[in-house]
Amino acid sequence: MRYDAIPPNGGHPGSDYELMREQLLDRYDMEYVILGGDEAIEVSTLANPYYAQALASAYNDWMIAEWLPRDKRFKGSLVVAPQNPELAAAEIRRLGAHPDIVQVLVSSGSQRPYGDPFFHPIWEACAEFDLPFALHLGGQGGLNSTPIGCGPTTFFWETHALLAETGMAHLASTIAHGVFEKWPNARLVMIECGVAWVPPILWRLDEDYRALRKETPWLKRLPSEYARDHVRITTQPLEQPHNPSALWPALADIGAEDMLMFASDYPHWDFDDPDFLRIPQEWRERVLSENARALYKLPQRQLKQMTDGALTR
Amino acid sequence: MTTNSTVATKKTRRHVVCDASEITPGERRIVNVDGRSIGVFNVEGRFYALHNGCPHKGGALAEGPICGTTLPTDSRDFAYGRDGHIVRCAWHGWEFDITNGQALADRAFHARTYPITVEDGVVIIET
Repeated sequence: MRYDAIPPNGGHPGSDYELMREQLLDRYDMEYVILGGDEAIEVSTLANPYYAQALASAYNDWMIAEWLPRDKRFKGSLVVAPQNPELAAAEIRRLGAHPDIVQVLVSSGSQRPYGDPFFHPIWEACAEFDLPFALHLGGQGGLNSTPIGCGPTTFFWETHALLAETGMAHLASTIAHGVFEKWPNARLVMIECGVAWVPPILWRLDEDYRALRKETPWLKRLPSEYARDHVRITTQPLEQPHNPSALWPALADIGAEDMLMFASDYPHWDFDDPDFLRIPQEWRERVLSENARALYKLPQRQLKQMTDGALTR
Repeated sequence: MTTNSTVATKKTRRHVVCDASEITPGERRIVNVDGRSIGVFNVEGRFYALHNGCPHKGGALAEGPICGTTLPTDSRDFAYGRDGHIVRCAWHGWEFDITNGQALADRAFHARTYPITVEDGVVIIET
C-alpha cells in the first residue's frame, strides 16, 4: 500500500473518502472513478461458496450505501463469488440494474478459465444487464488453481509479475468458448493483468486458430478480431521497457489504442500517476477517457462539476 | 496454343495436363507447368487448380489431405460436412476451400487459383 494513503486518523489506505478525494479525484481532476473493491474479490478463494457470495453481497450493499452516494464521480463494481455461478448470476440480477453499477468484478485467480461453460450463467446475467465482466489481478491461493503455469512460485514480486498468466488463460478461454458469439454484447475487462503480453498471445491464438479452426466451428472471426471489439485492458501496471517506446508498435498492431483504459490502482504500492503515464500523445484521450466512457456508457461531465465533486450533489 | 490478351506484355499460356479420366472424383494430381507446382483436383466431377505453395509459409498446400470440415454453427455441434471440398495444407494444416482457394479460418488468406477447363476430354490449365 502507499504509505501516504494511510488516513491521518488511522484505518486502511483507501478507506477515508476525504483523503482519497484529495490524493486522487481532485488532484488529477478525475471525471469518474470506478471503485475496484480491493479485498472483496478475494472471496473467490473461499471453499464455501454460500459464505463467499454472502460476503460479496455484503460488500456490494455497503459499497452502494456508503460509497457511491458520497461523490458523483464514483461508479461501482459489483463483486461476485464465481465459484457458484448461479449465486453470482442471482447477485447480478439483484443489483445489476443500479444506475451507478458499471461492471461485474471477480478475481483473476479462479478454479478454471472464465470462458468455460461452468461460468456461463455469469456471462448470461452480465449480458442481460449489459454489464462488462471484469477480472482484477488477485485471488491466488485457497480454492483457486495455482495461477502460475508450472507450479508454485516462491517470492511475492516473482509471483506478482507472473500473475499475468491468469489473464492469458482467461483471454484465450473466453474467445475460444465463443462467449462473444453467444452474447454479442459481452465484454471482458482485464484489470492489472499487464498489457505487453496481449499482442503476442493474440498473435499466437490467431496462428493456432488458423490451423485448427475446425475445433471451434462456432467462431466466425480471428481471436484478435474478437479481442479488439470485446476485450479491454487497463494500464496499471504498464510495463517499462528499457526503451519506453518499445511497447507501442506491438500494441498498435492489435489496435490497443481502442482497448487500453487508464487505471490507477490507488492506494496500492504500484500506483500509476496519470500525469506520468508514458503513452503516445495521440492515444491519450482514448486511454485516459474515451475508451472507458464508451465501455461504461459514461456521459461527458463538465469540468466544474468534476472539481466540485460531492458539493454539487 | 495461345490466346490473345488485351495486355500485350502478358500472355496467357494454356497447358494440357492429362485426360480428364485420369483424375477421378476425389482425386488430385500435382503437376509442374511453367515452372510452377500446381494441384489439379477433381471435386465431384469438376476440376480445380490450386497453387501448391501455401500463402501462409509456402508449404505444399495441394499435397495435404482432401477432406471435409466442421461446418459453421451457432451452437456447440460438430457437424462434419463439405467432404471432398477442403484441402488441408500438408505443412501446418490450414484448411482451404478447393473450389475457390479461400482459407477457411482467415478471409485475408487465399490459395492462388488457376483457370482450368476440360476440352474434348482433356484437362487444360491457364497460367
